[in-house]
Amino acid sequence: MSRWWRRPSVVRLASSVSVMAAVELVTGPPGSNAAPMAGVSGSFAEKVSFFGLFASPRWSVFLVYALVLYGVWSLWLHRGRQIRNAASVVLARPRNIAQRGTIRWSAAVVLVVVAALLPHFVSDPFWQTAMVEQIAVYVLLALGLNVVVGFAGLLDLGFVAFYAVGAYATAWVTGALPLPPLFGVHLNPFFAIPIAIALAMLAGVLLGTPTLRLRGDYLAIVTLGFGEIIFLFANNLNGITGGSAGTGQIPHFSIHLASIKYVWGLAPVPYYYLTLAFVVLFVIAFSLLEHSRIGRAWTAIREDEVAAESLGINPLKFKVMAFAIGAASAGFAGVVTAAQTNFVNPSVFTLYFSINILVLVIFGGMGSISGAVLGAIVIQTVSMYLIHTPPAGYQPQDLYIYLGALLIVMMIFRPSGLLPSKRRRREIGLAEAGEGHMDEVLTGDTP
Amino acid sequence: MSDDLIFSVKNVTLRFGGVVSLNDVSLEMRRGEILAVIGPNGAGKTSLFNSLTGVYQPQEGQILLSDGHGKTVSVIGRKAHRVSAMGVARTFQASRMFSALTTFENIKIGAESHKGIGILGAMLRGPRTRRGEHDSDARTIELLDFVGLRDKANVISSSLSYGDRRRLEIARGLATGPQVLLLDEPAAGTNPTEKLELTELIRKVRDVMGVSILLIEHDMKLVMSLAERLYVLNFGSVIAQGTPEEIRSNDAVIEAYLGSTTTTEGK
Amino acid sequence: MINYFTSHFDTLRLEFWPLLVGGLASGFIYAMVAIGYTLVYGVLRLINFAHSEIFMSGGFASYFVIRAVIGTSQPSGLESILLIGLGVVSGGAAGALVAVLVERVAYRPLRRRKAPALAYLISAIGASYFLFNLAGKEFGRYLYAYPTIFVNHPVFTIFGAGVQMYYVVVAIAGVIMLITLDRVVAKSKLGRSVRAVAQDAETASLMGVNIDRTIVVTFLIGGALGGAAAFLYGITSGVIYTMGFTPALKAFTAAVLGGIGNIRGAVLGGLLLGVVESLSVAFVQGSYIDVAAFTVLVLVLLFRPTGILGERLGRSA
Repeated sequence: MSRWWRRPSVVRLASSVSVMAAVELVTGPPGSNAAPMAGVSGSFAEKVSFFGLFASPRWSVFLVYALVLYGVWSLWLHRGRQIRNAASVVLARPRNIAQRGTIRWSAAVVLVVVAALLPHFVSDPFWQTAMVEQIAVYVLLALGLNVVVGFAGLLDLGFVAFYAVGAYATAWVTGALPLPPLFGVHLNPFFAIPIAIALAMLAGVLLGTPTLRLRGDYLAIVTLGFGEIIFLFANNLNGITGGSAGTGQIPHFSIHLASIKYVWGLAPVPYYYLTLAFVVLFVIAFSLLEHSRIGRAWTAIREDEVAAESLGINPLKFKVMAFAIGAASAGFAGVVTAAQTNFVNPSVFTLYFSINILVLVIFGGMGSISGAVLGAIVIQTVSMYLIHTPPAGYQPQDLYIYLGALLIVMMIFRPSGLLPSKRRRREIGLAEAGEGHMDEVLTGDTP
Repeated sequence: MSDDLIFSVKNVTLRFGGVVSLNDVSLEMRRGEILAVIGPNGAGKTSLFNSLTGVYQPQEGQILLSDGHGKTVSVIGRKAHRVSAMGVARTFQASRMFSALTTFENIKIGAESHKGIGILGAMLRGPRTRRGEHDSDARTIELLDFVGLRDKANVISSSLSYGDRRRLEIARGLATGPQVLLLDEPAAGTNPTEKLELTELIRKVRDVMGVSILLIEHDMKLVMSLAERLYVLNFGSVIAQGTPEEIRSNDAVIEAYLGSTTTTEGK
Repeated sequence: MINYFTSHFDTLRLEFWPLLVGGLASGFIYAMVAIGYTLVYGVLRLINFAHSEIFMSGGFASYFVIRAVIGTSQPSGLESILLIGLGVVSGGAAGALVAVLVERVAYRPLRRRKAPALAYLISAIGASYFLFNLAGKEFGRYLYAYPTIFVNHPVFTIFGAGVQMYYVVVAIAGVIMLITLDRVVAKSKLGRSVRAVAQDAETASLMGVNIDRTIVVTFLIGGALGGAAAFLYGITSGVIYTMGFTPALKAFTAAVLGGIGNIRGAVLGGLLLGVVESLSVAFVQGSYIDVAAFTVLVLVLLFRPTGILGERLGRSA
């Protein structure tokens, strides 16, 4: 144990250097087919301006960062407790206030008002479109996945399947698919909403009933595979889905009521309001659900499936219910996307998509509705910003590297997320203190 | 099978791979009695409980359960939640509360588990849902009073003492409205005062609520003072049965306990 | 309908032996990757979601090493054999290195905190996502084809089917590595501690087994096998940043099929899956082959989650 390379300070220094080396690689220039090593060597050797003073190779700059990290880390080890205590004293009052029910509801109302006024302050068409396609829709998806992962504790890696069902259902009932719609009637996307939600929920029941008997880690793999199968089918069933080219000509939403005629056009703002209205609806419905019998049963199953079952709770039934309810909001998100962009294309419905939604939920806080909303807004805004004004050398796909790293960092440092749900935070704390049975449920050690 | 019997277990054998956990076990439990199953560690007591509640599925034999209204069903082949719906409640050896929830919420989960559910009703809070919530709340408060946890209703259950956890588990089981309550070592980890209070509580459950009791216990003093009849398990088989007096003087029982430990104390 | 089957069975009859040989070769590759899943599952009771990227790392490392060594030459004879050895070793080394890094970064901090199982899964998914997208950025999102290492001519024939050099290479390399592994786990002190931890981590630690080190060793062995397998896989399929996904999913299927936690089961499951998948070519259109393999996974998980041989890493192998 006394060997020098095992001393904590040495380990800390080595870790700081490794972390910075990883950051260096991730932020460095990309490689290419012609020069596959250019990315790696460039990441270390490329000259950069050192705080505007002189040009220096990246490795030297990052070495300085690593030393800074080492210093901060060491300081945190020695003074961290004091800093944390001081912070908790300062934050205690605001935190108490924030937990009062009335304050929470009024904060929600203020947020909705701000969200409703937002389009008046955003004039850039890029951001107007992003607000609908990349933020509001993702909020809906995060809300849905939060029911599955957060409330019921089921790791679903094929969540995109329900989104795809929603989008293809819209294309189908509006007559945009090679598969003819029911009774040959081409409907307005408004009528697609209930049909798409119902079909997505049905897909949840169909996928869930066989797979939700499995233990947590097996479930993750099976859902991942189902997601891929949906993609394969969407991509290959040319006569039904339009194959890899997808399908266009999905009409916009429109209202024709007596004298009122309104068509949602290409402009994103009307879609923004429509989606916002549904976000509010889903938030209210899901928070009522969380504090209902069903929400309590989910918590019971998540914490101790055996005990829950001994009380007469049918775990499979409630898990399938979580799948179906989560699928509902994903199905609706599919309708909005299909109607707004006018086309459906299988290239969207990949594993990347499911993992992205998972990151939103984990980042915000599993089981926390406000967390899911905030997580989706923050991450999607940042990723859109990176696309809008990319830093030097940034490619859009690089986002996934950061999201992967974020998942690890969250699990190490803040597993309950940015705005943790009360129940979840307690559970994680208890599991770490050796109490509770959450672990056992997931690994299912019962014979 | 007559209504006087709650459980009728006939020749049950339970195996895990090559290990025989229960070997040709037969047992009868009468309505209204306090019955105990004792035996050394690893004798198969908890396996028996798990078989009676549908957690394990024995390979051979029969477990019949009477619902008290002339109907008899087989436990084997039924899932645990279906067995619970037939009026069988239980506690666990190491108490298994929903540790992130409050005492109140824990018991309420038991109180509402056998009611019908509607997703829309739950979301819209219709009058039926609200009435259901109200009923469950009333039932929960009643049970909190019954087990004496009213003042700890809003405490997070993981911060309860061992004795209180046992009470919570008993209340949670009772909340499902059972005809029989299975207690897996209720006195484990409790101090002498708590043990005494627990004995009182268990007797009260039977006398006041009219719920029959089947318990597994290591504490001989508690078992002998509480149980009206006992079964003794050893190596997965029933080696004796009878009243506390009969068991105390049974040679096979003394052999099993003395043979497996060096002290004369059963514990 | 009858026509469908008779015509497809004709294909099966005519092509049976070549398909079987090809299936066994991919079976060896699945088996080697499956062992990585099984070993880690044995000690941690968790599926290592990042194993696909450990595989991918082995593929890239061996590709770059081989490319640098070969240059523009046309290897033959002894050179080819040495190159194959080099590819296996460099792939294995990279796989082992990345596996140990993944354990260090994504698993160990959580183990220190006794985090719930869901946290491990999420952190491993994060590691996998990070690694393959980083590879995509560094090396380009492009399929690299191996330079010719050996001439892939038929070496001999069984029942009229020519067995190509590639299959012989995979089979020999696979058999050597699998037998070595089996001996190591069964006989060496290292293997004993791996088995002890798999059976009962707490008791093993009381008996003086260093749990942390044993876990690192299992990641290392599993990573080395996976990385080496990626070299064998890459010779024909090429190397790309997403190359880990499908083979790893199939290898996981193989591990479950044989009984997860059971090393010999993983080998059996791998070979079986390879053959089934290869023969299903006669019935299923190319793009749906992965669906067939995956259907096997779902069916096994639902109806026999303990696999053919059951879980038994902990028990005497």
